[in-house]
Amino acid sequence: MIAQQIINAVSLGGVYALLALGLAIVFSIVGLINFAHGELMTLSGYALLASLVLGFPFPVAVLVAVSCGALAAVAMERIAFRPMRGASVTSLLLTSFAVSSLLKVVFQNGISARPQAVAMPGWMTGSFSFGDFTIGVGPSISIVVSALALIALEIFLRRSVTGTAMRAAAEDFDVVRLMGIPASRIIATAFLLSGLLAGLAAMLWVAQRASVDPLMGFTPVLKAFIAAVVGGLGSLPGAVAGGFLLGIIEVLLQATLPGAIAPYRDAIVLSGVIAVLLVRPQGLIPAVRAQRS
Amino acid sequence: MLSVEALKIRYGEVEAVRRVDLTVDSGEIIALVGANGAGKSSTLGAVAGLVPAASGKVIFDGVDITGLTPEAIARKGVALVPEGRRIFASLTVADNLRLGGAVHQPAAEARLREEEMLELFPILRRYHRVKGGNLSGGEQQMLAIARALMGKPRMILLDEPSLGLAPQLIDTVFDLIAELRRKGLTILLVEQNVALALEIADRAVVLANGEVVLSGTAKELASSDLVRQAYLGA
Repeated sequence: MIAQQIINAVSLGGVYALLALGLAIVFSIVGLINFAHGELMTLSGYALLASLVLGFPFPVAVLVAVSCGALAAVAMERIAFRPMRGASVTSLLLTSFAVSSLLKVVFQNGISARPQAVAMPGWMTGSFSFGDFTIGVGPSISIVVSALALIALEIFLRRSVTGTAMRAAAEDFDVVRLMGIPASRIIATAFLLSGLLAGLAAMLWVAQRASVDPLMGFTPVLKAFIAAVVGGLGSLPGAVAGGFLLGIIEVLLQATLPGAIAPYRDAIVLSGVIAVLLVRPQGLIPAVRAQRS
Repeated sequence: MLSVEALKIRYGEVEAVRRVDLTVDSGEIIALVGANGAGKSSTLGAVAGLVPAASGKVIFDGVDITGLTPEAIARKGVALVPEGRRIFASLTVADNLRLGGAVHQPAAEARLREEEMLELFPILRRYHRVKGGNLSGGEQQMLAIARALMGKPRMILLDEPSLGLAPQLIDTVFDLIAELRRKGLTILLVEQNVALALEIADRAVVLANGEVVLSGTAKELASSDLVRQAYLGA
């Protein structure tokens, strides 16, 4: 039972971490909190549904769905955010709200307001025994996928020129451009990565719920946003730490709170967030930004 | 090699640069001097594409580069070492250098170039794996210059390289600038330390309130009454 709860906690934390990381990557480079991040997740969910309905084998369907998330993020930047480059933070924020609302309406009217069942393969809902413990396959896969994604991203950011340039751009974008590295390439890569992470998170989310609806992305991305703030907005390690912390606390409270208090779980979690921010206003692991007069 | 024609720069209502004309010939060091707020850094910023020109032209190698993005101008062979160095503090010295030369040459050539830079700046070899933010001011200035040189620029714009450095380090930096010029690099140097700048430059342009008030060879300016009174404290 405890092992199962720990697995659940880490698996939920992993999903939050992937989403928070996507928000943080974009924020660290363009200073935009992309509220349409949840819709990227939803879109990937529908892409998975469509691919399965069309009869694609499951791995292919997942590949298609994740790619859709990534491409949609790049398209979003091209269409909605690039024309706004250089605009104020408020304008960017409002733009992302507009994109988010627009996509939600498209999903509601174009597909259906009601949840659509996604036929996940049967083995995903199974479980395996490990000594005395019974562990769900779904959450275990979720943990492995999150871990692999985090490692791959870390390698990309450390080893590749574009990844290094992205870390540099988070500090001082203008100077990266002075090195001759095109701004559009950095920004497009940031959105591509955030979409990729949202797509992966969507797969893990749908795997546990076997359905997709127009508002699917809202709650997890709201949580991810909280995680990113707790971790230190714009800080990538912070986003991961915040994501896992939030997931673990949620599951722990879920498991331990007595029935009468259980409905107040989110309130308790958010109070915790406030407490953290009172002590560390810059978040757990603050982002590094160039300090200039 | 570079000519700036009737450049005007505005920040909102404020005219930071009213009219600047200057030319830099191949292999020269031109010093752009003047008091704080005279428009020196803005002029460099406009040449590098960081600051938009309200009017006027910047011509590099016969090509109009006014209004090009900073990355496009960098690719044409103009490198700016910005004021305050602005090295990437959270990146290692190695990564700072790597970004400097990333788009200008194939990876193998970039490695050779990095080796040249480490020969030129032995201190950077010692701190190769150290984060830029942990270097001292002088070391950071070396790194900023080496990073700019990684892209094999034909012209380098130096914005206040002496700022905030101890006198000994200033000498080191200026010796280096002289050496770069001997190697054939064309240099546009912005400096508040007028005496220092006139010592090293071939020609100089004096800015005041966003306008060129005086220009000539460094020798002429060093002996001009205006410069002596206003900037050299004589």
